[in-house]
Amino acid sequence: MVTIGKYFGDYPALTCATNGDKVFIHTPHKLSESCRPQSANVGGDVSLLNINQKVSSICAGNLNPSLDYDVLMVGTDTNLIAYDIAQNMDLFYRETPDGANAITFGTLGSFQDQLAIVGGNCSIQGFDCEGNDQFWTVTGDNVRSLALVDFDKDGHKELIVGSEDFDIRVFREDEIIAEMTETETITCLHPIDECKFGYALGNGTIGVYERASRSWRIKSKSHAVSIHSFDLNNDGVPELITGWSNGKIDVRNESSGEVIFRDNFNSSVAGIVQGAYTQPGNDQLICCSVEGEVRGYNSLTPQKGQTLMDINVEQEMIRELTQKKQTLLMELKNYQDNLSQSQKPLTEEFDKPGSLIPVNTQVETELSVQPETQESPAHVLLTISTNNDTIIRAVTIFAEGIFDGESHVIHPNANRLSSSLKMPLILPKDTPVDAHVKVLVGYKNCVHYHVFEINRFVPRFSMYILCSQLPVPEPEGYVKFTINDRVQRVCIWINQNFLLKELLQAGNNLHLSFMSMRNQTPLLFKMDQFKQVIIQTDDLDVAGNIVQSLATYLKIEDLNVAAHFPEELKSLNALIEKVDGLNSMRQTLTAGIADHSNLIRSMVVRAEDTRLIGDIKAMKQGYTELYHLNQDLLRDYNIRCNNHTELVSCLKQVNLVIQKASRLRVGKYKTQVVTACRAAIKNNNISALVKIITTGAS
Amino acid sequence: MDLNLTRIDYTQVGLTSPKTMELLPLAGKTQKIAIADNDGVVQCFSMKKGEVITQFKTLPSQKIQRLKLGGVHDAPKSNIFVASASEVRGFSKKGKQFLAFNTNISETIQSMYVEGADLFVCGNYIFNHYKECKDIHNMLCTDKINDVLCLPQTKEAVTTPVIACQDRLLRVIKGSDVLFKVEVPGPPSVLELFDKDGGAERNEVIYGTADGRIGLLELGSSEEVQRWKIENLKRNGGVTCLDMFDITGDGVMDLLVGRDDGLVDIYSFDESAQPFHKYAHTCNESITSIQGGIVGSPGYPEIVCSTYPGIVSGLTTKKLKKHKGPDGLELTNQGRAQLNALSNCFPCCTWLVNHCLSAYFIACFSPPLHVGWVIGLTTEPLTKRGGIATEALDQATKIKMSDLKQELEEIHKNVLQQREKFQNSGLDKCSVSSINNFHMNTRFVLNGDEACYLLSVELQSPIDNILIQSDVVIHMMDVDKNSAVVSFSACQPENGNCLLATYRCQASTTRLDLKIRTVEGQYGTLQVYVTPRTQPRICQVRQFAIKPLSLHLRTHSFDANRPFNSLKLKGQFSLAEAHSWVRSCLPEFPEKPPMGDTVTFHFVSSFQQTMLECSYSKGEVIFRSDNISTISILKDFLTAEATKRKIHLNITYDIDENSATYILNLMHPKLQNQLSLARKVQILEALKELQVHEKDLSFLSEDYKQIIDNADDIKEKFAQQPFLLDRLYDIL
Repeated sequence: MVTIGKYFGDYPALTCATNGDKVFIHTPHKLSESCRPQSANVGGDVSLLNINQKVSSICAGNLNPSLDYDVLMVGTDTNLIAYDIAQNMDLFYRETPDGANAITFGTLGSFQDQLAIVGGNCSIQGFDCEGNDQFWTVTGDNVRSLALVDFDKDGHKELIVGSEDFDIRVFREDEIIAEMTETETITCLHPIDECKFGYALGNGTIGVYERASRSWRIKSKSHAVSIHSFDLNNDGVPELITGWSNGKIDVRNESSGEVIFRDNFNSSVAGIVQGAYTQPGNDQLICCSVEGEVRGYNSLTPQKGQTLMDINVEQEMIRELTQKKQTLLMELKNYQDNLSQSQKPLTEEFDKPGSLIPVNTQVETELSVQPETQESPAHVLLTISTNNDTIIRAVTIFAEGIFDGESHVIHPNANRLSSSLKMPLILPKDTPVDAHVKVLVGYKNCVHYHVFEINRFVPRFSMYILCSQLPVPEPEGYVKFTINDRVQRVCIWINQNFLLKELLQAGNNLHLSFMSMRNQTPLLFKMDQFKQVIIQTDDLDVAGNIVQSLATYLKIEDLNVAAHFPEELKSLNALIEKVDGLNSMRQTLTAGIADHSNLIRSMVVRAEDTRLIGDIKAMKQGYTELYHLNQDLLRDYNIRCNNHTELVSCLKQVNLVIQKASRLRVGKYKTQVVTACRAAIKNNNISALVKIITTGAS
Repeated sequence: MDLNLTRIDYTQVGLTSPKTMELLPLAGKTQKIAIADNDGVVQCFSMKKGEVITQFKTLPSQKIQRLKLGGVHDAPKSNIFVASASEVRGFSKKGKQFLAFNTNISETIQSMYVEGADLFVCGNYIFNHYKECKDIHNMLCTDKINDVLCLPQTKEAVTTPVIACQDRLLRVIKGSDVLFKVEVPGPPSVLELFDKDGGAERNEVIYGTADGRIGLLELGSSEEVQRWKIENLKRNGGVTCLDMFDITGDGVMDLLVGRDDGLVDIYSFDESAQPFHKYAHTCNESITSIQGGIVGSPGYPEIVCSTYPGIVSGLTTKKLKKHKGPDGLELTNQGRAQLNALSNCFPCCTWLVNHCLSAYFIACFSPPLHVGWVIGLTTEPLTKRGGIATEALDQATKIKMSDLKQELEEIHKNVLQQREKFQNSGLDKCSVSSINNFHMNTRFVLNGDEACYLLSVELQSPIDNILIQSDVVIHMMDVDKNSAVVSFSACQPENGNCLLATYRCQASTTRLDLKIRTVEGQYGTLQVYVTPRTQPRICQVRQFAIKPLSLHLRTHSFDANRPFNSLKLKGQFSLAEAHSWVRSCLPEFPEKPPMGDTVTFHFVSSFQQTMLECSYSKGEVIFRSDNISTISILKDFLTAEATKRKIHLNITYDIDENSATYILNLMHPKLQNQLSLARKVQILEALKELQVHEKDLSFLSEDYKQIIDNADDIKEKFAQQPFLLDRLYDIL
């Protein structure tokens, strides 16, 4: 973790978090007595701050507008420290029970002050210079990355949040205005230009979004540690700079993803920042590696026809073109050979099995839902078959988010090859999946296979099976709302998002019962002629998913619902009680620790006294007691630790429930739920909380 | 002096085999390139202003395995000889075919050498020597022949051919017999004369091995002297071609090395004639031939190499980049005089004066030592630094590019038409769709130093994805060089899958290297499905056997003093059967059983350094090894094989009690080393932290201080040997 800040006014200092719970600050321009900057000396001035807790994030910024220099903000698992380095004092110290996984700094929306925005487990908080909590909201999962971007070009910055549930959410203050689903944990976000921002995922993907649409993405086998934007080639447009875990740095064009510069470190990159580090006035790109190597890059001086790459670009182009030509020529040759082959009599097919297959060979795919059996959990079954006697040697599916890696292979035993193949797909989440299927078709024992490529779309709610005949027990929980759309439109939505054996025909009203294949819970979907929709399920999450998907499809901007989830509310109550219990227990534990430490102090003095007067026996006894007390202290500490982790997980649960409840609503009602819930929790008003979740307002 | 080379691509021919490109002797300003490809086309061309000027080009015929220049003794070698199938053809430099000689050998020619009127031709196992197309000597070799050459004739007029064989031996031949054998550290893949003429005594030969080592041997009349050896510490690819050429311009020939992983290495020699690494350039495709000469532009020496997909490119000392002149240099009369003097000194110097702007003045000159300096002296503002010569060249590339683009468009149109036709033909019921065989270059070799297999796949067109399937437990290791995204699938061993992995390649990857770790005792097959990025999509499978004793290497030095366990098998089987059994256990085993009643081979385990001796004759096989587990693996495998073939075997063992302790002793220092290394790495972090904090480290114990001092060294060692500790545990 690396940041850069101007802690002493004009001159930047590089700040890094070390793995020994410390923060290291390197100031190349130490202000001399006459207040004139000296030229950069390589040794610089290094200072270290002891944090004594694992540093989870650092950030620097001019938090207090009355000061004309930057303040360092350090986030740990339990608190946030704003530290004034010039004065060597804490600006504030706030407990953040949700942790501080990511910090960013800037103005958010219409807030007056600069805020330090801290992302923790499911929650986001914004602090001003006095440490006051100005902003609070919840998100789907643990926050991993934050960025401030003017997403909709309205002059106000929006907060972009990347979380562990693979979602990028855009908050205009409290309200979510966009949501993009990615395929892995979002580890980094960085604003590039106006409404563009770069992102990096845990699986090695990096890319750029322009508003809610992705401009490009690429995937690499190592993963990106840090991303940044900097105009390295001085063309007026910033580039996306990526630091990889294998020590590579690459600079890519933000609109095409084309690499324009590369460099290599010997060890993984730790962070990338920019600042006028060696000479005032000129910003440089600064890259740090985990081994402590720091390299700076100046941007190019404006000059025509210069390129960053050492290699001759034209030569590269020629090579690329030659390769293209070669590929096309090969294809042409293939067709020509094909023609000459197909003019020959058919008998040759039997002479050379495998290299020839009938031209009319087609590969068909079919999706169906399979309930849970003893051998396998419930899954969506993809059946792939050819329409003649050719066999399928292997099938590779490239689809992100549903396998451990990015692909899954089925390669049957050589003596069990047939013309059809079944492939189970287990969908862990309610997200639509785009599967690229590559099927190797040929004959037995041949060395060449035809590759058929098929793209198959797996709908969002594929794991719910329609049970029209069987009576389904009605779940207790439901959401009820009215929409202004015809039943036909809803039918189309159902056809698109559920995996049905036959298409649903629209009637006057709808009454559908589904069974979730994941946990065998029922889901009822009803719509009557008064356009009232009732979704019956015990799972708050599922209800939220359906409401969101339906609202997006029908383009509903604002929607409030009546929700009734007795089970969820009961567990919420229990959770809040548990949090209270844990909190009070923590207080007693803290008191106990204070007692113990006092006792220890006095005992140490006593033991030392006995040693000085030579009373070995008493001294021995004293130290034994001390040892026992120390053991106690350690035990207490462990309890405290457990208590803390439990508290964190409980708070996360509470946050999650609020987030899920907000997902039942759309638009302004959604924001309303979050703010109202927050107020209720602050006042410890449980009944109000329940009411908000049920009705959407307090 | 730093060597700074720029790559220029000249042309592309068909796929090329190793050693199929040579440069004709210098006639005029530049040398001509003679190249033969797998389509059977031999062509000869020169370069003029970046354009190919073809001298001649033959019609396609059979795949050409070798191209060699030859000529009358003591005259420049300007005749081109090519070998394809069992035929050798000769062309003059004008392209006139003057020789078509059918050797009538039963194998396809794999390697060939021409020296005056002597022609040496080798198939896989046969060595033939023709003099003026008359067969005078031949020999059957016990293992595969990779390359052949002949020492230049000295006054005594003896011809001494040398062949490089797969069993790690160079065989020096006299007549039809082996004069003596030389053991080299790896399977030799290529031979070349030192300094192009065999050195002072005309008897120095450089060899390159398939595992990337290079060495110089002085071959005497009955024995050899090892001059130097270059180890392959960086684990680069195997050597495919070698050449000697003075690229640095210091008057001493440099060694040019082409490797199958696309690396071009240049080694220079110091005062004591020891080689040191000078320069490396990475092409993306494996190098098939390398030559030094003057091709692209007169006066600039360069390295010409051809790659597997048939790209011919040059690495030239000429700088193509726009260069910067000395800033704001006022050219005084004195300077002018200096320049004039310079131009008088160096005959090949060129002057270019631009009169458009009165003060704009540019001079380019190149000293005779081929250093290739281009200096611009200008009084112009800094923005106008471009030299005239370089701009002209840019123009040429631009034309070339636009030509290519146009060509591409035409082909693309044609392809679209054909594609439509093809898809329409799908409606026709009785027609069939065929797959055109695409060429694939694969290698699966054991890397002795790392005790793992290297699998490399190379295609002419970009690879889309590779699917790896194996029915034995193997581990894929990460290779830094490849950029493909790997993904492992869960697999059920009952379906015969122990490993399923896909490698999705980035755009324009034509070559992929993978490292595979095998476990001795587990055997099966590894299948590789390669799909290139061409339309219509097709896929090719390659199978590789993983043998039970997969980590053993052939050796010729056997330590007989170790305590040995032995395994004796007796039964009703022939020598050929015994050979095939043993062959299926061990890698690097010749295809055919060698001559003689009893055959003995020696192996060493690349991982544990234990020895194995196997000798077999009709009805009897004996294995001797100091490693008991090797013996037990062999026993298990052979019993299973015999049961399959219903042959009754009589198995007896003789186990030496000392061998177990011996092995443990062998392993102990290794293990201890690894453990202490691991521990050191662990405490290193903490010590570093201390180092940052405390100014004075004198309170630390000596051990710790030493660790800090050697921090980098330790880390490097640790990084070099990942998993080694785990593997040692596995073996124990």
